[in-house]
Amino acid sequence: MMKTEDGMGLELRGLKKILGGRVIIDDLDLSVSKGEMVSLLGPSGCGKTTTLRMIAGFLAVDSGQILVAGKDVTALGPDKRPSAMVFQNYALWPHMTAAKNVGFPLKIKGLSKIEIKEKVEAALELVNLLHHKDSRPGQISGGEQQRVALARALVQEPDILLLDEPLSNLDAKLREKVREDIRELQRRLGITTVIVTHDQEEALSISDRVAVMNSGRIEQFSSPQDLYRQPQTEYVATFIGSLNRFEGDLQNGQILGGTDVIGIRPEDLTISREPMEGSHSGIVELVIPRGHFFEVVVRRKDGIFRAFASENIPTFGEHVHVKIKKALRYQNGKLVA
Amino acid sequence: MKGARLSILGLTLSLPPLILVLVFVGLPIVIGFTFSLGFTKGPNRIISIIGQQIHVKDHWWGTFAAYSDVFHDSRFLGDLGLTLFVTLLSTILVILMGLAISIYQRLIRSKQASILVTLAIVPLFVPVVISAWAIHTFYGGDGFLRSFFSQFGINFPTLTSTSSAIVIGSVWTSLPFAILMISSGMQGIPDALIDAAKDCGAPIIRIVSHILIPLAKTPIIIAASFTAIGILGSFTIPLFLGPNQPTMLGVEISNFFGSYNRPQQSLVMAFIVFMAASGIAILYVWSNVKSAKESGRI
Repeated sequence: MMKTEDGMGLELRGLKKILGGRVIIDDLDLSVSKGEMVSLLGPSGCGKTTTLRMIAGFLAVDSGQILVAGKDVTALGPDKRPSAMVFQNYALWPHMTAAKNVGFPLKIKGLSKIEIKEKVEAALELVNLLHHKDSRPGQISGGEQQRVALARALVQEPDILLLDEPLSNLDAKLREKVREDIRELQRRLGITTVIVTHDQEEALSISDRVAVMNSGRIEQFSSPQDLYRQPQTEYVATFIGSLNRFEGDLQNGQILGGTDVIGIRPEDLTISREPMEGSHSGIVELVIPRGHFFEVVVRRKDGIFRAFASENIPTFGEHVHVKIKKALRYQNGKLVA
Repeated sequence: MKGARLSILGLTLSLPPLILVLVFVGLPIVIGFTFSLGFTKGPNRIISIIGQQIHVKDHWWGTFAAYSDVFHDSRFLGDLGLTLFVTLLSTILVILMGLAISIYQRLIRSKQASILVTLAIVPLFVPVVISAWAIHTFYGGDGFLRSFFSQFGINFPTLTSTSSAIVIGSVWTSLPFAILMISSGMQGIPDALIDAAKDCGAPIIRIVSHILIPLAKTPIIIAASFTAIGILGSFTIPLFLGPNQPTMLGVEISNFFGSYNRPQQSLVMAFIVFMAASGIAILYVWSNVKSAKESGRI
């Protein structure tokens, strides 16, 4: 067994996976610190679930190494890895009660009945479901099933917790609640966690760091703030949040001809009824309420601006001026300024 | 009012098949049962005249004399023992083989597994009488196996006209249906449930015993009950491959009815087989009800 530096929760080195003659994961590297919560974020088919399944041991790697808590687990099967997974559809066994579902991994380990009972009750208590210990999965709600699945993973005391789209089957309100519960538990237990999601809001709100994936590679791996404010590639900039995208060069607030790509976040635009230095004039085409702010779509002579405004909201058809406060510039898809 | 009218309409619509079953299945059972109790008038009159050793009722409810005849006949007790033994052993073998093949196909999703399942289903398309003849020529006194082994100086036993041949034939004819049932149950288990067990550290043997078999319990019980009922009342296989004495009740019922001209005793045996089959059917119904309750359908 090879050891990595102290404090490393998970390390992927040069991971590669080919399925059906297609390269799904290509030379992927990732380092997750101990106790850190990391999201693999990307659209369908980007390889995030394949990566997670390789970490869990359900898929063999074609080349590369997987190290969990400093141990090389690349050659081990899923039953021998120090990881526990929460599946997308919870994967609770319908013929077992919540307590039996949670106790199954302990039974496999050969623990005594008393030890199993104690640990199962503690795990169900942790997810506030002790009162449902004798319920079968079909008798409890989706959110509760999710928590049983979480308890089943946590009771194994794994070195790394893997969550595969854990909230995708829950409704919006419940998703927010379970998301907070997962985050709170993860912080409290200090367990290294990798979560796969295609929901950027989920990834940005729950993770210490987010790895944005595209075609089997990691485009950027950084904190949610950096990912949003300093997207290193044009792909990440357009994938995360809203972006006004123009081709050309930005000089004194004006977009001139050129081959670069200019990206402007909607909140980096100022809308005013009065002209400002270097501003663009246009007509308000759409005003969309977004809760505590409005999204204003302004049509100008060669395109549109999407801007966020929280006061002095212009109305439909009004003539306004838009000034660019901050912009991102990409050359060949890479951030240059 | 509207609800009541709808109920009457529903009942009326369901009446034709119900009447059909009552007339063509229910009524013959009742007539047969009364004949076994010594009711020799009405529809039982002609058979009472033709048949031998007919007992006529001596109480208002009938007589158990024909039942007493049968239970005091050592041939019947031997037949009953053989029938139950063959049914039990064949059902166990069929379910074990069905489980093995279905589990193999479920866990190893390979071309070989699919070919194995396809081959195992082939007997379903072969008429029983042809299968019986094939088994006879394979295991018989002058059959393939004996001829083959005799080339090496080995005296391979003759299996035809023994209970072993009935078991072989019963397994051959019953296995395809059992595999279809069990395999469809196994295929319906989502991959994630197996992966979750692997993730919990379970070795294959535990996955099979704690996840696959319990989750496919209902189709397994259905396959077992259908197999057992089919073998219990089988006729062609024991007639072609079994011994003359003791033989299975399906053959003996036919002998008593035709060769020995003792229709009342033959009916008594048929009712005993019917009672045994009903016991198995209760298991099937119980399993269905339990499964429906677990899934919240009732």
